[in-house]
Amino acid sequence: MMRNSTMDFPTAERPSSISIKGFQIITQKRPILKAEPIEHMTKKLGIAPPEMIFGDNFVTIEHEQSKWGISFNAFDALDRVDKTGTSMLKVAYSKEWQKSREKTHEGIKEVVKPFDWSYTTNYMGTVHSNGPAFEPTAESIPLELLKQPDPILFFDEVILYEDELADNGIAMLSCKIRVMPGRLLLLSRFFMRLDNVLFRLRDTRVYVDFDTSEVIREYQCKEMDYERVRQTLAATRDDIPAVMRDPNKLSDILPLLEMRSERVVLEDCRT
Amino acid sequence: MSDLDRAIAQLRACRLIPESQVRELCYKARELLIEEGNVVCVDAPVTICGDIHGQFHDLMELFRVGGDVPDTNYLFMGDFVDRGFYSLESFLLLLCLKVRYPDRITLIRGNHESRQITTVYGFYDECIRKYGSANVWRYCCEVFDYLALGALVLGASSELEPSGPSMNDNTQTTMPLDDAELETEILNSKGEVTGSTYRPRQRTLSDSSTDTRNISPPRDISATPGQTPLRTGAPGTGASGSGGGSYSSRTGSVLCVHGGLSPLIDTVDKIRLIDRKQEVPHEGAMCDLLWSDPDEIDGWGLSPRGAGFLFGGDIVKQFNYRNDLSLIARAHQLVMEGYKEMFDGGIVTVWSAPNYCYRCGNVASILELGEDTSNGGTVTRSNGDYGRSNGIISTDKPGVRSPGRRYRVFEAAAQDTRGMPAKKPVADYFL
Repeated sequence: MMRNSTMDFPTAERPSSISIKGFQIITQKRPILKAEPIEHMTKKLGIAPPEMIFGDNFVTIEHEQSKWGISFNAFDALDRVDKTGTSMLKVAYSKEWQKSREKTHEGIKEVVKPFDWSYTTNYMGTVHSNGPAFEPTAESIPLELLKQPDPILFFDEVILYEDELADNGIAMLSCKIRVMPGRLLLLSRFFMRLDNVLFRLRDTRVYVDFDTSEVIREYQCKEMDYERVRQTLAATRDDIPAVMRDPNKLSDILPLLEMRSERVVLEDCRT
Repeated sequence: MSDLDRAIAQLRACRLIPESQVRELCYKARELLIEEGNVVCVDAPVTICGDIHGQFHDLMELFRVGGDVPDTNYLFMGDFVDRGFYSLESFLLLLCLKVRYPDRITLIRGNHESRQITTVYGFYDECIRKYGSANVWRYCCEVFDYLALGALVLGASSELEPSGPSMNDNTQTTMPLDDAELETEILNSKGEVTGSTYRPRQRTLSDSSTDTRNISPPRDISATPGQTPLRTGAPGTGASGSGGGSYSSRTGSVLCVHGGLSPLIDTVDKIRLIDRKQEVPHEGAMCDLLWSDPDEIDGWGLSPRGAGFLFGGDIVKQFNYRNDLSLIARAHQLVMEGYKEMFDGGIVTVWSAPNYCYRCGNVASILELGEDTSNGGTVTRSNGDYGRSNGIISTDKPGVRSPGRRYRVFEAAAQDTRGMPAKKPVADYFL
């Protein structure tokens, strides 16, 4: 790599954090990775990483007394992408494209390094714990409490990775977190739109009640094919292209395919 | 001041021109572009730029760093529109400059210069928002259809004139200056040198141009044993060539194309045969030139996405050798350092959209190629087999010497110049 170390990124920021009732929340936002760390990551992952990897970004929630913590980062999320190519999607015009080439380039049939290039991940965060682990629960995140207009003491949105799918749509993993006086909510959302093929959402929500030290983690899978989404939207008065770019709106439309809830109660101070 | 100059001034201030003027501009641009071949020939010196993507304020920064049109001769490798917020201002300004100074600016087509892509990635919506109808979008798309598919830079110099003192002097000149020539130089936006590489000087170059004007193969090449090029910058760019040294005494041409090569295209002449005046198709050579990517593979590969080609270093080497090229310059892929040389410097990706999509924090670059004045300004245009027909040079050695390359790296324009609030996430009660 050529040396241009004197360049400082204008957007480089120090981590932001807040401490509240024995919990510490830290977020860090940096520019996308440079060539050298990308090469390193490529080797470690075994697949070509997305076009934009915010490899230095993270969101961490830590419980100071029990040393329990959960963090969200790009590498761990990408490590959970299918690396074999068994769940590979194809772009909309793939058939047409390949058919037109059958005769001219018979030698080129090999797909280079197949893997799930949509970077779909079922990542639910990286847990650091020496104590109790998450256990399945029927309890769900108390939405009513979260709908209360409590003051937001800390808010951040952190992108972990993004790919334009070679101009065939978008794949993006990002984390939002809001901290209120009594609780916090984190949403890690993978959003994918493969133009004319498919919409996909993979949401992980982490809810923490500061007073009871209870943590609930919920994972949801939503998916619907592109044409059906388009038809559903056509019946509304919405601006279709705008909605198709907006995962929040799409979340209301896409059917739920899978859902899991887990819960852990962190130990109180017993030192 | 002519209408055109007024339009340029207005667009430079990031203010749009009336729809009727856009129509007229697009008409004039089409008349000009229709005369251009699929592969435009451009004489060095030239400054090569990659994707812009509607980042108007960063385009202004590019002109500040690289010099203004017409003082600097520019070649833009497509993807003027989509993604950024100012596709219209960016593209219309470039188009005005093209019509005003046709010989000082070359625009070639990127995969985003297409009806289909612009309806999905922002340009169409921007036209509707700013002009209230799709008319301007339609005029622009008609211009897109006439943009050239590639350019061939001729007469680039193999040696750079040093830009001045290095920022922190670690350029150790272990070789007498007479024996080393400056091959690449990296400059920051202040014009300070932040990195450079040298290679052994070509002895035969200056000799031959004084000895004889008529250089005819075969030449005695046994006099120059293989030498390892001297690197004085950090290694890894591949900028120092193939390591074996090259023996030819001239710089080959540089092919500029948005995406890359196509398995249907083995010579530059075959690009010239394409019927380009159409929407970018989903298949065929034209599609490949705008869409394909180099990759660390052998030969050709199919993208795992099910459409699109990947090509390896051997393909680049063969293509360059066969076409007397010393370099392929392309854009199309985001590279964090602003440029990325691959395959022993046989291909380079140039990226000119800093802080891409206003959130990536990457730097951008432009590539300057100097003019070779050693031949009294005469540009060799042969397609010929000069310097390699004697059968002695093995195919893994390029028959031509790569041009000296100056990369000017720049950052995004300051936030306050773009009239946008600094990006701070707005707290919301998401669920």
